[in-house]
Amino acid sequence: MTQEAKKPDLVITREFNAPKELVYKMWTEAEHLAHWWGPKGFEMEIAKFDFRPGGVFHYVMRMNDVEMWGKFLYREITAPDRIVFINCFSDKEGNIARSPFMPVWPLEILNTLTLEEENGKTKLTLSGGPINATDEELQAFKDMVPNMQQGFGGTFEQLDAYLATM
Amino acid sequence: MRRDTFQAIADPTRRDILARLSHQSLNMNSVGEDFDVSRAAIYKHLKILTECGLVTIEQRGRERYCEAKLEKLNEVSDWIDQYRKVWNQRFDNLEDYLKELQAKDKKNL
Repeated sequence: MTQEAKKPDLVITREFNAPKELVYKMWTEAEHLAHWWGPKGFEMEIAKFDFRPGGVFHYVMRMNDVEMWGKFLYREITAPDRIVFINCFSDKEGNIARSPFMPVWPLEILNTLTLEEENGKTKLTLSGGPINATDEELQAFKDMVPNMQQGFGGTFEQLDAYLATM
Repeated sequence: MRRDTFQAIADPTRRDILARLSHQSLNMNSVGEDFDVSRAAIYKHLKILTECGLVTIEQRGRERYCEAKLEKLNEVSDWIDQYRKVWNQRFDNLEDYLKELQAKDKKNL
């Protein structure tokens, strides 16, 4: 089974009071993306923006002397409804890197963005989960949960719910 | 080389080691007893587990004891929380930005 054929693993939805074309534009034009992608207080600079399947978006976010590089790799683009992309932290050269603040953040996350318009409002659905090596790692975790659960009480409930959707 | 909790638990032998250490800390030589794996391989797994922070090794007299740090496993579920938080913040930003853009548009009409 391919990654894409799997059920979405973690889903976040949001409704925006704007037409679909405009919300879509926020993702496909670098100038717009730079306005909202980074956390508040960070200044975003775009190193490369190549919006097409196989293309890369490479950027850096800066605040004081903190620098965070990140990267998108676009997989599928269906204007103005759907974008499938891999998102990861990276270094200056564009190599995949660990999150500077979250050491266990999965290296690469596959995201599927879908937009649906109704009555002038746009519903955005983002589903995502770790891919590549982490896929197997999550499987490992799935195997392990029942054995380890005794010692951890409820901390795995949330994870169970998550794994059940995979 | 990546070293994290996900990687630590990806291997069945390492999961067995963790399961065993979850009951009691053990002398390094006895960790792999009854395992169908060479001692060298066990050491290698222990090395990875310590690098990932899931096991600590403590010198007690002449012996080295391994102890499991299972609270590290919470990190695996934590990332789901973090992931949600990051996106929700991002969408707050996007919402504000869209409002700003649309307000500008209206002014220009």
